[in-house]
Amino acid sequence: MQFTLTQEPLALVIQPEAEHIDASNVKAFREAVAPLFQNHQRIVFDMSKLDFLDSAGVGALIACLRTVKEREGDFRLCALSRPVRTLFDLMRMHRVFEIHTDRAEALRSLAA
Amino acid sequence: MKALILAAGKGTRVMPLTQHCPKPMLRILDTPVLELLIAQLRQHGVTQIMINTAHHAQVIEQHFGDGRRFGVEIAYSFEGHVEDGELVGEPIGSAGALRRIQAHSGFFDDTFLVVCGDAIVDLDITELVATHHQKGAMATLALQAVPADMVGHYGVVALDDDGRVTQFQEKPAPSEALSNLVNTGIYVFEPAVLAHIPTDLPCDLGTHVFPLLAQRGEALYGLSLPMTWLDIGRREDYHRVCQQALRGEVPGITLPGREVAPGVHIGLNVRINLRRCHVTGPVVIAGSATVEDGATLIGPTYIGPGAVIERGAWVERSVVQAHARVGSHANLVDVVSNGQHCLSSDGTVIDLTRADLPWLISDARLARSARTAAEQRFLTHMH
Repeated sequence: MQFTLTQEPLALVIQPEAEHIDASNVKAFREAVAPLFQNHQRIVFDMSKLDFLDSAGVGALIACLRTVKEREGDFRLCALSRPVRTLFDLMRMHRVFEIHTDRAEALRSLAA
Repeated sequence: MKALILAAGKGTRVMPLTQHCPKPMLRILDTPVLELLIAQLRQHGVTQIMINTAHHAQVIEQHFGDGRRFGVEIAYSFEGHVEDGELVGEPIGSAGALRRIQAHSGFFDDTFLVVCGDAIVDLDITELVATHHQKGAMATLALQAVPADMVGHYGVVALDDDGRVTQFQEKPAPSEALSNLVNTGIYVFEPAVLAHIPTDLPCDLGTHVFPLLAQRGEALYGLSLPMTWLDIGRREDYHRVCQQALRGEVPGITLPGREVAPGVHIGLNVRINLRRCHVTGPVVIAGSATVEDGATLIGPTYIGPGAVIERGAWVERSVVQAHARVGSHANLVDVVSNGQHCLSSDGTVIDLTRADLPWLISDARLARSARTAAEQRFLTHMH
């Protein structure tokens, strides 16, 4: 899986270049994303290109959150598409993740 | 008086609600839209009704039969064919439907109505028909004024001072709209209209016949009467109309069931302990539904027949359709769910089966499988 990476002063912004993370590509996602956490404690995940996640996809994001938290880092999600936001609302994912409207807001939250 | 109800549309813009039923059979609480429409027509002296059908034709025919239970006579004009034992709809357009019925039996022999089957109206049809006669019209269109920013969703009609139609615009940009009067899909016709229907199929009244009548200088009139017109053209309309119905704002719909607490209506055989869950009306819980202790229902909310709301689930301003199971961890706010899909009030659709989240929302009639280790780990993180 391809990512667009942007090193901001406060965090590494990871944007998956995929429309979905589900059972069909979750293994590729996990393998591709894991090395990115090695040298970064603060991660912002830009979700704008994703329009579908299944339980495996959400599970993979939770695993990312755990990995970053175990290293006492910060993990933010931002720019959720409408379908993903609707799914996250149904699943009460705001209790699990810190979710921001866009990249700038997510970065501001890290500055605070 | 006679009428044709148009019910052959595929309902593409309200998918997946129309996956298993035609759009006119969408239920507002417990009543199909088409049933409300037939009651309305009957009230204004319509006794003989043709319904053209295509997609899921059998759902309509099985519900209404010959119409006797609804106080009218009903027959159907099916547009399609059978393929591998399945009905395949092939709609021929609203004007095509008229032409086919007329060719079959000469059914339309006096002033008659044509009504789209997917809207709820409380129009004074008697007055509409009286004005039609008074003007000596060949066709009269019932119009509705809508806010200027909404015209782009509809067919706009321009009238002269006498109410005669001068021009049609199909879904114009608001800045280019000639008026804010839109076509509601309710028409009064003289049989003479039939002679103006082109033979090419599919053929629609709005796009083919009305412009032709206007161009030929026939007596085509439009009339805007005060009415409630609830059109279910798009997915988001369905959620809005259900909310209005629960607030008591939809003509012809009263909240079903017994009122057991202020604004809380329950049907037969419902399992609920109101002291052990949080319920704020208006809420309707239909027959054989289950609301477990610790669930929250905030109105306007409808829980369909046989649905199950598990302990801890939160349902607010939502419609849970028949036999859906809403799991403990689910948070339904401003949605419609049928157990397989979730539809938010902005029209966004979530396919829950594809998302593989049976513990969130599922079909209550499926055997409950034990949670997998992965699901259990997942749920642990939710707390």
